[in-house]
Order: sequence, then C-alpha cells, then structure tokens
Amino acid sequence: MGSVMKKIGLIGYLLLIVLGCFPLRAKAVSQTDSLADVFVRLQSAAAKTRSIASDFVQEKQLAIFSETLKSKGRFFYRQPDQLRWELLTPVASGFVLNGQQGQRWNSLSRETRSFAIATDPMMGIVARQLLAWARVDMTWLQKRYRIELLDTQPIRLKLLPRDQGEAGFIEQLQILFAADRSHVVEVEMFEKGGDKTRLRFTNVRINQPLTEETFKAPEF
Amino acid sequence: MKLFASCYRFFAPRRGWLLLVLPGLGLLSGWQLVNLQMEENISALLPDGHSQVARDFQLLQQAPFARKLVINLRAEKTVSTAQLLAATDRLRDALPPDLFVDALSGPGEQAGARLLNQLGSYLPLLLDTDDLAKLEKKLTPQAVDHQLQIALTQLMQPQGVALKQKIRRDPLNLELLALQKLRYLNPVPDVRLEQGHFLSRDRRNSLILADTPIAITDSQGSKQLLEAFAQARQQLPRGITAELVSGHVYTLANATIIQQDISRLLIASGIGILLLFVVFLRSWRALFVYLLPLFSFAVALLVVAGSYTRVSGITVGFGAVLLGITIDFGLHVYFTLRKEAASRELILQAVSRPVIFGALTSLVAFAVLLGSELPGQRQLALFAMAGILAAVLMALFFLPHFIGHCELNSQNIRRGFKRHIYDRMPLLRKAVLFVWLLVVVLAVTQVPRLSINGNLRQLSYQSESLHQNEMDLSQAWGNMRGRALIFVQGENLQSALQRNEQVWRVLKAEKLPGLVSLAPLFPAQKTQQQRLEKWQKFWSQRQESVKSLLTTRGQHYGFTTGAFDPFWKQVTNPPETFGLAELKQLGLGDLLDNLLLVEKEGYQLISLLPDRPELMADLQRKLAEIPGVVLVSQARFGQQLGAEIEADFKRFILLAAGAVFLLVILLFRRPASVLLAILPVVTGLLVMFGGMAWLGLDLNLFNVVASILIIGLGVDYGIFMVCHTQQQEDMDSSRAILVSGLTTLVGFGALVLARHPALHSIGLTVLLGISAAVPTAVLVIPALVPKRL
Repeated sequence: MGSVMKKIGLIGYLLLIVLGCFPLRAKAVSQTDSLADVFVRLQSAAAKTRSIASDFVQEKQLAIFSETLKSKGRFFYRQPDQLRWELLTPVASGFVLNGQQGQRWNSLSRETRSFAIATDPMMGIVARQLLAWARVDMTWLQKRYRIELLDTQPIRLKLLPRDQGEAGFIEQLQILFAADRSHVVEVEMFEKGGDKTRLRFTNVRINQPLTEETFKAPEF
Repeated sequence: MKLFASCYRFFAPRRGWLLLVLPGLGLLSGWQLVNLQMEENISALLPDGHSQVARDFQLLQQAPFARKLVINLRAEKTVSTAQLLAATDRLRDALPPDLFVDALSGPGEQAGARLLNQLGSYLPLLLDTDDLAKLEKKLTPQAVDHQLQIALTQLMQPQGVALKQKIRRDPLNLELLALQKLRYLNPVPDVRLEQGHFLSRDRRNSLILADTPIAITDSQGSKQLLEAFAQARQQLPRGITAELVSGHVYTLANATIIQQDISRLLIASGIGILLLFVVFLRSWRALFVYLLPLFSFAVALLVVAGSYTRVSGITVGFGAVLLGITIDFGLHVYFTLRKEAASRELILQAVSRPVIFGALTSLVAFAVLLGSELPGQRQLALFAMAGILAAVLMALFFLPHFIGHCELNSQNIRRGFKRHIYDRMPLLRKAVLFVWLLVVVLAVTQVPRLSINGNLRQLSYQSESLHQNEMDLSQAWGNMRGRALIFVQGENLQSALQRNEQVWRVLKAEKLPGLVSLAPLFPAQKTQQQRLEKWQKFWSQRQESVKSLLTTRGQHYGFTTGAFDPFWKQVTNPPETFGLAELKQLGLGDLLDNLLLVEKEGYQLISLLPDRPELMADLQRKLAEIPGVVLVSQARFGQQLGAEIEADFKRFILLAAGAVFLLVILLFRRPASVLLAILPVVTGLLVMFGGMAWLGLDLNLFNVVASILIIGLGVDYGIFMVCHTQQQEDMDSSRAILVSGLTTLVGFGALVLARHPALHSIGLTVLLGISAAVPTAVLVIPALVPKRL
C-alpha cells in the first residue's frame, strides 16, 4: 500500500493546493452546463495564465495532533515550470522549483537542501502534480480522478480517486469556487480514517509580474 | 623396413583392391562428418581441468553481467529524457520474449516505493553492532527534538499526507539505517533511477537488461538473437540509438570473420599449391600425393568421432589445416621413387627409415599435448596423431603403387652426375653459414624479450564498433563488467550466508568504494536471531527514557501521546526472521538473481569489488581462512592464464623436444648426426620466438600448437637431410623438403593474411618458424656435411 498511498496522498494534497490557486475566469456556468463544458472553459482561462500569486490558510485536523494545525503561507507559479510553495507560520518552510532542479528549506533546522526531481521521486510527483494543475491538464486529471459536479452556485467539484491504492488512502476531495468563479476559495481533503485538511485561498493575483527572487530559497 | 618392401611386392599385382579401400574410407568419413555432433564454440579452448585458471574461468561466467544481455540506449542532446524513457519501453516491449527473457528497463516506480516503505519493518534484523552505535546517537534529547521538528514541518508540507504513516511508524528516522544498506546491492556503479527506469548520470543513456536461453558460445543462436535485436531497434525514433553488449556479439563477429578468412585463405592456399604443383611436380601422378592429407583427415575424423561424443569445430577446422603437413611423407616417397632408378623395393626400404622416424617425432611431439588442460588441445593432439599415423602408413603402403616409375631423362642423369653447388662454389657455402649464424645470433638476442599473454580477449576479433560500444557502456554506467568477484559457496543457503558475512566483515574493514554484497541486507538466520536479541536488550535498557523523551518533546510540538504508538509497537514486537521469499516480495528478486546462485552443489553468493592487483593479493591472504571462498580477479585471471600457458608451454616444449631428441639419438646414434638433425628445429624455434619478440608480439595460447608443429616438421627436415647425406640412394630430399616446406607455408603461412587475431597469430609463427627451418635443412646441413657418395 505504501508507495501508492504516498503518491495518492501527494496527488490529492497538490490538487487541493493548486485548485485553490489557479485562475477561474470562465463565464458563469449554467445549471445545464455539462462537466465537459466546465473543463473546456477552465482550460481556456488557464491558457491565458502566465503567473499566479496567492496567500493561503491551511487547517489540518489530524488524529496524531491534539489540536488543529493552523498555518499560513504563499504560493507562486510562473510559466513554464517555476513554483514556490511556502509556509510562513508556524514554521517557515517550503520549496522552490526551477525546471528540473529545486531547493527546500526548513527554518527550524535552518537547513536548505537542493534536489532534482529526477532523483527525488517524491518531489518529482509534487512537481508533476503542481504543474499539471497550474496548466489545467484536465485530460490527465480525469485519468486519475472521477470528477463530479456537486453544485453550480457556487461551483463545487468532488474528486474521487480512480486508482484502488489511492482510494484506500484518500476518500475524496471537494473544491469550492468563488461565486464569480474566478478562483478557488476552499479545498477540503477527506482521508480514510477521519483526518481532514482544509485550505482557504485569499488574495489571488493572476499574471502579476514575479521577480527571479520569488523562485529562490531563503538563506539562513 | 623390409616389411614395406615385402608389402609392396605383395600388393603390386593387386593394386585394384587398394583403389577400393581409399574411396571406401572417404565415404565412411563423409558419412561420419554428416552425423558428427560438432560444438561450434570456443569452450574447447578454455581450461576444463581442476587448475585455478579452469576454476576461475568457470566462475567468471557466473558474474552478474557475464550472463546478461545489456542494451545501452543513447539519446542525442535534442532528445528529452521523457522521450528516451518512452523509447526504452517501446524497444523493451518489441524484443521477442523467447530470446530476450525478462527484459527490464528499470525496477519500476511501484517496486522501488514498496521496498522503501517495507524494508524498515526488518530494521531489528538488519542492524549490526556499528549500526546500534549509530542508533544510540539518534536517541539523545537534541537528536529527538531535531527529528520531531523535521516531522512537524514535513506534515505541513504537500508531501506530509504521504509521510504521515511513515512518521508515526518511525518518528526518529531510524529506518534510514536499513535503507542505507541498499547501496550495496547496486551492480551498476553510475546508475540512477528515474520514473522507474535505469538512467545514466548524464541522463543521456538508458539501459535494458535481459536474460537469454542462447549460450554465449552458440554462433547460430547469436545470429538469431542479433537479428531479432536489429529488427526491434528499427522502430527507435530519430536521435536515439541502441547497442547490444554481450558475449553473443563477439561470438557472431568472430564466427563471421573466421568464415570470411577461411574463404580468402582457401583461395590463397589453393593458388599457392597449384603453383607448387606446376613448378615442382608437373605430373598427374603427383595428385596422389595431394590426396594423402585428405585420407589422413578422413581417418583422423573417424578416430576422434569414435573417442568423443562431441567434437569441437575448432579441432576439425584447425586439424584439417594441421594435417596438411602429412603431405610431407608423400612428397618424400614421391620424389625418391621418381628420382632413383634402383629397385623399387630397395628404394622404399631406404626412404621408409626417415619417413617413419619423421612421423614418430611428429607423433611424439603431438602426444605431449594429450596432457593439456585445454580439451581442444587434447582433441587436436588425438586428431593429429591419428592423421599422421594414417598418412605415414598410406605413404609407405599405398602411394608407391600409384606414383609411377623413375623418369630417367637426360636432365635427371645430368643432375645426378653434377657436383654439389657448394663444391663448385666454396664461397657460397661460407656465405650461407655466415647468414645462418647471423640470423641465429640475432634471434637469440631477441628471445629474452618475448613475453607471454594470457588475455583471451586479444585472441578474439574485436571490431572498432564493438570496442566503441564497450567504451560507451563503461563511460555511461561505470565499470560494470571489469570488477573482481568473490564467490562464497555453501552446502545450504544458511552456511553460504554465514560465510558471506565473514567475507563482508573483511571487505568492510578495507573501506572499499563500490562494494556490492548481499551480506548487509541478507544476514543468515542465526545472525538475525542474534541481532534480534541485541535489539531487545538495547531497548530494554532505553525504552522508558526514550518514550518519556519522545512524549514530552512531541507534546511540545502538538503531537498526541499516542501519535507514535506504531513505532513502539514495532520496537516491542519485532518481526520474525526473514528469508528469500520475503526479500523477493520486497521487489529484490532481480538483484538477488544477480548475486545469489542456486546450484546442484548448494548455494553460491557473489560479491563485487574493485579489481586492483595489490588489493587482490592482500585479500587473498585475508580470505584464505574462510572455507568455500574464492576470489576471482579478472585482471589476475589474465595473468594466471598467461602463467599457465607459460608453464604449459615450457612443459610441452621440453617434453616434445626431449622425446624428439631421444628419437633422433635412437635413429642416428652419432652426436654429430644428431646435432645436425636437430639444427632445423632449433633454428626454426629460435627464429620464431626471436621474430615474435622483434615484431613486438606476445606468445599466446595458439602459439603452443604452432610451436609443436615447428618441432615436428623441423626435426623431420633434419632427419631427411641427414639420412640423405648418409645413404647411397639419392632421395632428392632437398627438393622434397623445399616442396613440403613451401606447402606448409602456403597452407599455414597463408593464415598470416587472416583478420582474425588467433588465425593471424598461428600463420605468423609458422611462417617465421618454417621459413627458417627449411633453408637450414636444405642449405645449412649440406654446407656443414656433404653427401656421402
């Protein structure tokens, strides 16, 4: 179960993150719109995206923690393959990715480590997932998840893992979009066993100029 | 010798019967050849005895990559890694599974992750004393706090979802100690894994490994294999190339080049023999002389086929060429009978003495090869002896009936009364002796420089492209095939594993880079039990304090008191001992197959290490006390084979020379005659060795046979010439020796034109030896002692 679960967990989690960040500037979806129409509009909007900048709040309700783990952070994406995922509180940590190479850091241990997605399978999966969502590769996502349209006012999608291994790990993902559908406001991941993670995205800026410094790791 | 005269008289009126015997023999041999089970491989040239070289050679065949087909795919810079990996999978799938069994382009993504997740559960069974010391350092308050910080950070990161269970099971990252042992299982030095594929460090090469049922020495099977590979390779996209590197490629290249060489040599030899016929013989009756090797070949084949169930193709091929020398007996009989006008019985009686002794010396020379370590040499010895025996009998019993009578033409009569050229030109005699002495002295000065080379690879044909493929493979993946090996034998798996652990302790102390061994990851059951006890003792002394520490510091970071229950469950309930089945379930099956061999005699474990001469000598000493352990160095194997060839060579040469010398003493009894008789052979060998040294060539496996040939032929020339000088009858020996020497040169010496290094080497040595022995016999012996009239 282990490896598959790891990947599945990552996929789900990344799904949460990126869905919350990529722009949704599609026109209002009517009740009669099919899921395929929604996807086409999402992909069409994503095609115009050159960069994404967003803040987020993460709440983790995990059985192994006595209290809900609350954290705040930032997410950045720039075409074609640059990413920054960063927690600001309670522990400054995160990673940047520039093509095939990246760096991750942890302010507690005051460590910065380089990695290559080719030799670090876990970061490879993270990068693949993040980029797939940032580019809105619906073909790829539909292969991995059965997607249901839960609600249209506002839009709420339910993603169910197709892979048996993944399904044994993650029960479902729910994605809630803003009323004007311009961006994701909330992502919830329900794990088998009752653990739950909620991400709320705020202050989403599309195609805002991003400096090179954005994609560099901090120095300790 | 009167026997031959009597036989001649008996068969003279009944020669028709003799004519029936020969075609009958030919038919029988032809039928035998059709039904013969021929081994078309080089195994006959490799030691099969109980020597260290023989054993090492057998063991080297068991090396991980000696048994594998290795396909190296190379991408140009314009091709992405993803395209290379996709093309690798397509090629892998296109390879016919009956020839490329279990083709593998990598361990796969799932297999690697399963291993990483589950190996840790065997942690208590894998930790040795050094590891427990490292574990101790991970239990200090600072270390525990540090690991919990990392765990907390990881859980909040995207990858935290996947790591949650692992963190609960192993919050202090102790499993790393088990995972680190995986590095000793990697037989490809510079490999990295990407998307479940083998990828080179520069990310431009990928790898496919496969097994095959085709034996490396099977040239027909190799052809089929390479054709299938070429077919599958056609679908590769532009910018990606693939090369197969395995022994099969060499087998086919060698078989092909030998076939091409043989075609060319047959034409060259055929033209040469035709020219000799036109210049020296010019009679249709001489054709019987040329048929002699054919019939001796037929007899030799019948004898060898009757003695061995499988006959080496090399024995038959090389033996056929070797039996070309049997023409000598026929030539001597032919020239004597055609020259001398006296009674045919008397002439036959006279010529039979040198012919029989000549044959005896050759028989004795080849007989010493019966003691060889190489099965091919033993077969060849029997083949040559049977052929020589048949040839000499046919030369003395059959041939005199079919070569007609003396041609007493005016030219012969005139020649008979003519004084020898040395009598007419005394200066020429001195000039010949001076040149001979000069050549001998020069050769003697060169002989000490001659070295012996046991490198088998240098005896096989290797084209530029094959060499380049090997270089590319080594550059991309490191030294996959050139490492030293340690074989550990055990009657059962447990005894083999225990010995392997002893070997590992020696290797570990050496701190060698690039070690490959199963010992760190697969301890014997007894060791696992001992480690389990140590694990329990270790934790019984620390469990309370570490638990308290982990709880306190965990609470500080927000973890519940039960967050690490899975960890404590594993500490207090360690796993049962594991075996082969469990390791295979972890996805280690392929790696196990590389390093663990199940044989009739028991189990064999292989370790790989750097192949350095000084290290080998040191390890040999240190490993000597462990039973069932054999250290095989590929570099040392060449040296050992060289030493064995040298020892064989000296033994064979001394034995052959000694036996031949005794025969010559028996024949001539006078020291002067004996020394004269051995003059051609001594000169031939000196020029052969000296010439090779001067040309910068090493002595190899094939030169042993060539040297025996020089001894056999050289002494024949000496015997004939000394007999010629002593007997009243004119046996026309000079002409016979000249023609037989030239025949040998066009038959054997033509091999110098071959592109295959082994054939070329034989050709060159024979060319050097015979081209010195013939002039010594024909020119030097008469110069030293004139014919008695």
